[in-house]
Amino acid sequence: MSSRSPRPSPEIQALLDRYLRGELSRRDFLRTVLAVGGLSAAQAILAACAPAPPPSGGSQAGPGPTAQAGAPTGSEPQVLIYAAGQDIPTIDPSDRTDYSIGAVSRQLYDRLFRFEGGWPQPIEPCLCERYEGSDDATEWIFYLTDRAVFHNGDPVTAEAVVYSYQRTLRFQKQRSSVIAPFLDESGIQALDDTTVRMVLKSPFGDFPRLLAYHEQPIVNPRQVKEHEQAGDEGAAWLRENEAGSGPFVIKEWEPGNRYVFEAVPDYWQGWPGKGRLAGFVWRIIRETADRRIALLAGEVDIADTISTDDIDIIANTPGYRVEENFGLLAGYVKMNNQKEPTSDLHFRKFIAYAMDYEALVDVLGGHAQLMVGPIPEGVPYHDPDVQPLYRHDLEKAREHLDQTPWKDGGIELDYVYVTGLDFEEQLGLILLEQLGKFNIKVNMVPKVWPDMVAACGFPDTGPHLINIFVDAGPIPYNWFAEQWYSKSWDRETGGSFQTCDFYRNPQVDTLVETLRGAVDPGEQEQIVQDLQRILMEEIPGLPVYVMPNILGLSERVQGYVYYGDISVDFWRLWLADA
Amino acid sequence: MHLRYYILRRLLLIVPVLVGLSLVTFTVARLVPGDPVKLAAGPRASPEEIQRLREAFGLDQPLPVQYLQYMRGVLQGDLGRSMMNGRPVTTDLRRYFPATLELVLVSMVLAVVLGIPGAVVAAVYRDRWPDQLSRVLALGSISMPVFWLAIMLQLLFAQYLRVLPVSGRFDARVPYPETITGMLILDTLLRGDWTSFRIALRHLLLPAVCQSLLALALTTRFLRSDILDVLQRDFVRMARANGIPERIILFKYVLKNALIATVSMLGFLFGYSLGGSVLIETVFDWPGIGLYAMNSALTLDFQPIMGITLFVGLLFTLVNLATDLLYGLLDPRIRYG
Repeated sequence: MSSRSPRPSPEIQALLDRYLRGELSRRDFLRTVLAVGGLSAAQAILAACAPAPPPSGGSQAGPGPTAQAGAPTGSEPQVLIYAAGQDIPTIDPSDRTDYSIGAVSRQLYDRLFRFEGGWPQPIEPCLCERYEGSDDATEWIFYLTDRAVFHNGDPVTAEAVVYSYQRTLRFQKQRSSVIAPFLDESGIQALDDTTVRMVLKSPFGDFPRLLAYHEQPIVNPRQVKEHEQAGDEGAAWLRENEAGSGPFVIKEWEPGNRYVFEAVPDYWQGWPGKGRLAGFVWRIIRETADRRIALLAGEVDIADTISTDDIDIIANTPGYRVEENFGLLAGYVKMNNQKEPTSDLHFRKFIAYAMDYEALVDVLGGHAQLMVGPIPEGVPYHDPDVQPLYRHDLEKAREHLDQTPWKDGGIELDYVYVTGLDFEEQLGLILLEQLGKFNIKVNMVPKVWPDMVAACGFPDTGPHLINIFVDAGPIPYNWFAEQWYSKSWDRETGGSFQTCDFYRNPQVDTLVETLRGAVDPGEQEQIVQDLQRILMEEIPGLPVYVMPNILGLSERVQGYVYYGDISVDFWRLWLADA
Repeated sequence: MHLRYYILRRLLLIVPVLVGLSLVTFTVARLVPGDPVKLAAGPRASPEEIQRLREAFGLDQPLPVQYLQYMRGVLQGDLGRSMMNGRPVTTDLRRYFPATLELVLVSMVLAVVLGIPGAVVAAVYRDRWPDQLSRVLALGSISMPVFWLAIMLQLLFAQYLRVLPVSGRFDARVPYPETITGMLILDTLLRGDWTSFRIALRHLLLPAVCQSLLALALTTRFLRSDILDVLQRDFVRMARANGIPERIILFKYVLKNALIATVSMLGFLFGYSLGGSVLIETVFDWPGIGLYAMNSALTLDFQPIMGITLFVGLLFTLVNLATDLLYGLLDPRIRYG
């Protein structure tokens, strides 16, 4: 954090001193100040159109990634500039998470497990070296390393782990929602300095993977207490400050603008690559075109969420590369199962066969992976052979439409999508064209995201068709419970965007509940495969495609590992010399 | 004495204006569809969590109660907290406003410094090529979508020529300068930190040029027209008959008389721009009020929306008052009362 105290330039300070001593009149003082400032400013303006000289001790943007004048030579760590499409609203470990918060929190805090070592995500030790669970999957013991230290030198103990989880559960904010169904505060205990016991409210066989996915940052309780204001458990302070033990610390925090992080050279877990970063800057560049320009101009080393239109431009520029990978961000066309005509199974199958999936892939320039089944390939126990598989087949579409009361068409369906998202609009236009062949009109209804979430609350406000993207992580249970478990929407407060097909099937509900408590991997696999089969047969919504995660990188960036996320793990990266 | 009463009356009138503004914004913000609590709570939130968050932000209360609670806070200088980032709105306004003020001030300086001489030249060379050129440039500036122009300038200067940065306020590879006012150009000047000044100026150049175009075009055309009008007046003929040099007539007598309408327009544009230029700030990732307002609106973050509206409304009325007072300096015949 930068300190801020006024300090005028020496020339102006000297003039001010003379004025205060009475050696200059007010008019002469102002005139001279203006002259000094104006002359210098004019010189600076004339020089400003040339790139600024490299700052001491850093590296400078220049023409292309090879122009890192002033960059350290040899294997000396350098600062990486990362262009992100999103701001970091908070880094309070108990508040909320999204891709930007997650990417930065991983660097500032340690968790029980690492989850970013590859794809599909392996569970790797971090603070937790090993664990064991009871046969009924209700009690779990985690054994911690005794080597970890917080940035202020305090050891990372079981007490800190317990406090971090309990704080999150107490806050009841977004971050707690993943673990709150399974854990409450009283279920977490420190058995000794390096052992934590968690007793679940009900069995959950995939609990360690859930904890790995949840990525609870472990916070230093002593630092939190030092910064507590009016019993807020440090919430105000932790929003923009850290109390962690991760490989980086905060150097500058400029909300809405940029965030600067500095490496902890003697990080307790070491550095996994052949080199390491001296630090990194999370620079916010919201426009995709601007991120591409900044990358190719050498202003940044990595740009995330690159547009598919820019892939070839970047890949064909010497010194740059593109990493395009498919993760778990799955696009669905949810169909309202509680409202006619999409409540009719044959009508849903008609739409599933009428949809031209390949046309969509073409529209997206081939940068999409069609889904096979209701969950993406990266989710454990995904069945690549699940049937039926819906692909564009107008004859089959006609067969199913003929079994509905709307075989002659003459009806209208609303298709809701996010305002301004071209790929969602294109999907709707394909539906409009294909369903038009059956005398069914599709109304294109763009909405801003809050309106879409609100519409998805209840079946009577839910549209016939809505384009939704879901990422429920590599936890099979999450995918089914959050989308097709009727209790996730059939409740007083309604559902959320994932449940917008308002699907109700007692058999599916029972299987989801059974899956939650299943410990045996074989049993888990069988249930997940049954669920996939049922959901493809019932087709509550169209699983359409998985979005790619696209990064543009300078060739200098080394050590990149794809782990299913939009962003990168800075801990593994280093910059090669120009 | 009249001037004091005038200022006092205008200041008192700001109160009902802001109350009306707050009522309208509050009502509109609450009536639009969408549930910010569900957004903030996240997709996995349980009904209990959603309800708890609703209560924490007082959104479970009837609308009149919510409004009164909000206004009570406003009177104590508390504009509430953002539901999305948890920060007090006043903190965010203090953080983002200097960036907007800097952008608007520099763009206004550009508009005045380039616009007034441009208008004089266009008027003096009426219907000749300098006038035609100024007409084409002015119309082009007004009719061209500013975001498109901004992107074109980025492509030219950042991607192809690589002489200016694509966006942002400061070079990411350089430590952020210590600030005094939050306006980097001013702060680096005051500190005599010329390297940082140059970096800040390079970042400011493209957004300021784009931001200045509307004011520049309007200044050039309006002032040209007013200068031509004043040039026809009797006192100008009299001055010429008395042998006063044309340069003095033009700059001392004509320009001063012609500037009144332009000052009024610039005052309006200045106040309006302080609300943040959403397009410019978005394209150039300029962390100002406009970007803050847009992000808050997209997430239906009520408190920042209300806070920004009141703050900008207050600024706008104050700038209008200052503009009205400026008339008196330009034209001593104007009396307040």
